[in-house]
Amino acid sequence: MACAEFEDRLLEYAVLPEAERRSVDAHVAGCGGCREFLDALASVDRELTAHFSGREVSANFNQAVTARVRRETAHRRPSLVPEVLDFVGWGAIVTLIALFIYWLTPQMAAASGNAIWISASVFLMAGILVALRSFADLKH
Amino acid sequence: MEQQIRACLDQKRYREAFDLLLPEYQNRVFRLAFAMLGDPAAAEDTAQDVFVRIWKALAGFRGQSSLSTWIYAITRNTCLTALRSAAAKREISIEEPDVGQAVESSGAISEPGVRAGIDLIRLIAELPERHQQVLRLYYMEERSYEDVARLLDLPMGTVKVSLHRARKQLARAAARSKMETGTT
Repeated sequence: MACAEFEDRLLEYAVLPEAERRSVDAHVAGCGGCREFLDALASVDRELTAHFSGREVSANFNQAVTARVRRETAHRRPSLVPEVLDFVGWGAIVTLIALFIYWLTPQMAAASGNAIWISASVFLMAGILVALRSFADLKH
Repeated sequence: MEQQIRACLDQKRYREAFDLLLPEYQNRVFRLAFAMLGDPAAAEDTAQDVFVRIWKALAGFRGQSSLSTWIYAITRNTCLTALRSAAAKREISIEEPDVGQAVESSGAISEPGVRAGIDLIRLIAELPERHQQVLRLYYMEERSYEDVARLLDLPMGTVKVSLHRARKQLARAAARSKMETGTT
């Protein structure tokens, strides 16, 4: 058994200040119990380092993760439903605004051509914008 | 490397970011999982789960912490889930190959590289869980207190105390075994 007052210092032997290490060395030189404890500790450190250090994943780890991620991505393909609803919503808003303007100023609408065609064109443009935005979202 | 990965994330190039971080972190994630779970096979499975979780959460990474801190937090949480699930099934001690061998060998040398005259792996398995985790990681991470504290997200004092107690217990057992072998 190591001496109680030296055991803790032996455990910290590697990081002891030089002066303290010298005093521990002097004690260990004349104490069989402490010498055995220090030897045992060095042996534990050496063998556990050999056992645990250099641990790495297996060679096919990267492939396995990539395959699982690919499966996850396939399962999580984004739904188009919100985009379609977006499109319908914007279309309805644009159409209502166009009809409201037509109702307010029928002469102006008549002067500039057919109001239905105007609202249809605006509806189409809004649709194209929403589709472009959706495409950009899906790409990410 | 972290800057490169962050640049990809900023530009929403998630696949590219993931392809960079996987080889960079796979061994560190595996070692942390091994330290926490104590079983290399379970650690590798859990490390896979960690990377799938990372992939799912990558778009939500806001960069409040460093990438490594974020990855290690996901690893710890995944390991805790695995530990809880293993504890619930009460299978961990049966499925743990190292401990299994240690029990069967009843004190004999069970692992190449473990030759202190005692079965160190069995002794480690008998330590409190926190001590086991700290001890494994300490020897895996080239005996760096800082790395152990950072990876397990523990205060440095806790790491030092855990290591001190665990090593003392192992060294006492090794010294006792050596003495008994010498006297018989």
